[in-house]
Parts: sequence; structure tokens; C-alpha cells
Amino acid sequence: MRGNNPYLLIAPGLFVSGLIIIWPLIQLGTLSFSEVNRFGQVLGWGGVENYIKVFYDPELYVSSWRTLLWTIGVVGGTLVLAVPISLALNEEFYGRGLARVLLMLPWAISLAMLAIVGRWALNGNSGTLNNLLMDLGLITENIAWLARAETAFPMQIVLGIIATLPFTTTIFLGGLASIPTDIYEAAKMEGARNWQSFLRLTLPLMRPFINIAVVLNTIYVFNSFPIIWATTQGGPANSTDILVTYLYKLAFRFGRVSEAAVLSLIMFALLLVFTVIYVRLAMKEEN
Amino acid sequence: MQKLQKSIVIWLGLLPVFSITLFPFVVMGTTSIKPQAEVFSTSWFPSSIAWSNFAEMWTATGFGRALGNSLYVSTLATAMTLFIAIPAGYALSRYRFTGRGSFKRFLLITQMLSPIVLVLGLFRILVVFDALDDAHVVALLYAGFNTAFAVWMLESYFSTIPKDLEMASWMEGASRLTTMRRVFLPMAVPAIVVTALFTFVNSWNEFVLALTLLRAEENYTLPIQILSIVSGRYAVDWHLVMAAALCASLPVAIVFSWMQKYMLKGLTAGAVK
Repeated sequence: MRGNNPYLLIAPGLFVSGLIIIWPLIQLGTLSFSEVNRFGQVLGWGGVENYIKVFYDPELYVSSWRTLLWTIGVVGGTLVLAVPISLALNEEFYGRGLARVLLMLPWAISLAMLAIVGRWALNGNSGTLNNLLMDLGLITENIAWLARAETAFPMQIVLGIIATLPFTTTIFLGGLASIPTDIYEAAKMEGARNWQSFLRLTLPLMRPFINIAVVLNTIYVFNSFPIIWATTQGGPANSTDILVTYLYKLAFRFGRVSEAAVLSLIMFALLLVFTVIYVRLAMKEEN
Repeated sequence: MQKLQKSIVIWLGLLPVFSITLFPFVVMGTTSIKPQAEVFSTSWFPSSIAWSNFAEMWTATGFGRALGNSLYVSTLATAMTLFIAIPAGYALSRYRFTGRGSFKRFLLITQMLSPIVLVLGLFRILVVFDALDDAHVVALLYAGFNTAFAVWMLESYFSTIPKDLEMASWMEGASRLTTMRRVFLPMAVPAIVVTALFTFVNSWNEFVLALTLLRAEENYTLPIQILSIVSGRYAVDWHLVMAAALCASLPVAIVFSWMQKYMLKGLTAGAVK
């Protein structure tokens, strides 16, 4: 086609999204090699000292480990729930439209809002969850869910799963819709049982969608800041910190700006690895 | 009969799932209509429904102002995103050019980048330019972070619009620009509306940039405003907070249930954050 130059059409997009990534990255790179005081003023060249400090910081390893648990907990939990749910929603049954809408609803609550609701529902006096469990006779005294990491962190994972489920199910439903139904009839003719056709047909055909959902969820959950920040701010005493909340505290609470810059760059690099995996999967899908 | 049986089994199976995923709505709903004296009582149903909570919340939580800020930032961000993404989406769907694949890959990478790893850098830059607390800057950043997703989404829809009509229009001597305006864009309206809504909702819900870059309370967007009420104070009026959270979430919930079928389409490549 002749006429307008396509490069002119993509230029604004390239410029703006390039700008908001490359400029802060340069800034972070400079900061990571600078000596910065706790008020954020750059004092001079700092060499690799910030990198050394970050790697000797025990908190880094604790919050990395917790990030791993958090990511596996939310992504794994979501996957285990989303497969059967999407299989059910793919069946023909009365009220399917309503069921789909109900399942999508938590998507509409922002993560921050979900966390604020969680903060109220999980409070130790008469939070909604305590009331419910008391009514059901499961507990005899109120539990301050968010006051200790042992109860707060699993609850944060549950909130994470609630927030991730709608998106994952949507992807799986899209995948299931693309599977032709006649292969199941053929399998039935051949005498395959339901679970056999699930293992041999559905699962392999769903594989690309499961892959994409897992990689995307891993990226989002790994980066997910609002749930933990708005419920406990990583506390009490950093005991529910994951990397992103720890990074935020280093930068904006503890005044350890240059270390925060180092951590940002490390996380950027990790993300890039995840993203390359995703781009490969997504582009393979496209072709 | 068999279908009825199947429906019952499926609904019974889904019930435990819904009781967890819809729990936040139950919490917001039941708390927001309780009279203040009953907020901490253990009963599920209030003695009377306190609709006045919603009126009281409007001023007590600063909801009105925060709503205005959220609307302003999100609308501006959506407008900027469309302005950037429509030409790019059009170029990707209508031209084959060198670097097309790289551009798409670049967009995917930018889409995966969460603002959290860049927020410190952005904050430092804005401090230098004395541009903190500026809704326009935040809107521009939202546009930047939403561009990738919007371009992907638009391109996938644009590619389904047949080129014949545009061809015909050129044959008759219309310029490329006129054709785009008169022939192409009217057909692309549904795609643009859906993309706009997604961008709007993303901006509406965005947390970390708003938290970091909007420092003065008068500039807070809704999530930040509501969080500031629950985290800064010793005694929190939870019935008002839940009323505010409900009012901030319901419009989005309605939009989402309407957009459900569009979500199934363009999502595997251009996913929502």
C-alpha cells in the first residue's frame, strides 16, 4: 500500500512508551552507582557499594523466598481452581450466563479496594470472617488475622487468588471455545471415558492457554503490590514483605534510595526473562 | 431433564467458589448499610437499612473530590492512549513494514513491565522537573503504560475489518486520510469503545503510581483516598469506608459484566493488568 508512512503512525506510541521506560531506567542506573543520603540527595560516585549492600542484606533473601511462596501460592492456587471452573462454565447448563458474570465480578474491584475490604473483613474484633467462622462454630474466639504473618500471609494469598481467578478463567474459556466438539464425539465412539478424553484431548489442547496464563499470572503476581501494601504494608516487622513491597519501603520509607535502585534493576532484569518467555509463547500462538 | 440435572450439579459445585470470590461484595454490601452503632455487632442483618451512610460517606470520606480526580485522570489517560494507539494499531493492521515484528515485540515487553520497578526512577525525574502532584503527568504515564495493551487490542480488531471498502474509496480518488476518517473509523468504533473502556478501568484502578506521585490529599484518586482513611487513623468508620468502596467498584462491575464477551476475544495476546 502506498500513501502515509507507517513509521509516522507508530512514532507517538514508540516515543511515549519508550520514554516512560528508558528515562527512568537511566535514572535508576545512575542512582545505583551513586552515593545517596537518606534525604535522597546524590553525594557522589558510589561504585558498586550499593550492589554489595543489597546482596549482603538478609532481608533481601527473606523477601525473595516469600515472593516465591506468594507467586507459587497465587498462581498455583488459581490454576488448580480455574481448570475445573472453566470446564464447568464451558458446559451447557441453566444460568450459565449468570454464572460467568458472577465469576467475573471480582475483576471489577481494584486490588487496592479488595485489600481494604480484606482489612475490614479480617480485623480481629468483629471482622466479617470472624463472625462467619463463629456462626459456623469453627472458632471460639476472634482471630486477629492480619496481626501475625502466619495468618496474614495465607489470607493475602487467598485475596490474590480471588483477584487472579476471573482473568485466568476468561483465558481458559477462550481456549475451550476453540476446541472443536466433534473430536469428543469421535472419542466417545471409540469408547473413551470422560476422564480419558479430558487427559488425552482437553488437557493437551488447552496446553498453550495454560502456558500463557501461567506465565502472565507469574509476571503480574510477582509484581503485585497493592494487596500486600494495603493490608499489612509488609508488616508486622517486615514479616509479610515480598520484593516489591520491600523495594517500595527501601525507596520511600527507609531512605535507602540507591539500594532501592539496585533492587529495581534486578527486578527489571528478572521481569525481562519472564517476558522473553512470554513473547516466545505469544508469538508462537500468533503464527 | 438431563440438562436440569447437570445444571444443579454444576451450580452446587460452583457454590463454594462463589462464596469465596463474592465474599468481598457481601462484606461491602452488608457493612455499608449498617447503622453506625451496629457496625461492630456480629449480626449479619442491620436492624434498619442506613441508606444515609452513602450520603454521609460522600463528604466524610472526601469521596466527591476523589471521584472527580479519578474521573479526570482516567478520562485524560484514555484520550491520550487512544490518540497514540489508534494510528499505531492502524499501521500494524494495514501496512507490512520493516520493523513491524520488532515493534510488536517491544510493545509486549512494555506491557509486561509493571510500574513498580520504574516508580523510583519516575519519582526522581518528576522531582527534578517539579512535576509531582500533577494529574496531567500521571495521566500521561497511564497512557504510556496502557499503550501496548491498547495497540494490541486495536490491531487485532482492525485486522478483522475488511479492506475492500477502503480500496473502493481510494479508487474514487479520496485521500488516505479522508478514507481513514470517513470509511475506516466509523467501522472501528466498537473496537475503540472497548479499548477505551479497558484503558479507563485500568487507570481508574491504578495504585502504585497514584500513591507515589500524588502527594497532596486534594489530588488523591479514589483508591488512594480510601486507603488514606483506613491507614492513617485510629478509629475508622468502616460502614462509610465500605460504602465508598462499593460506590467505587459498582460502576466498574457493571461495565465489566457488559464487556464480558469482548474480554474473551482479545485477551490472550493483550491481557489486562
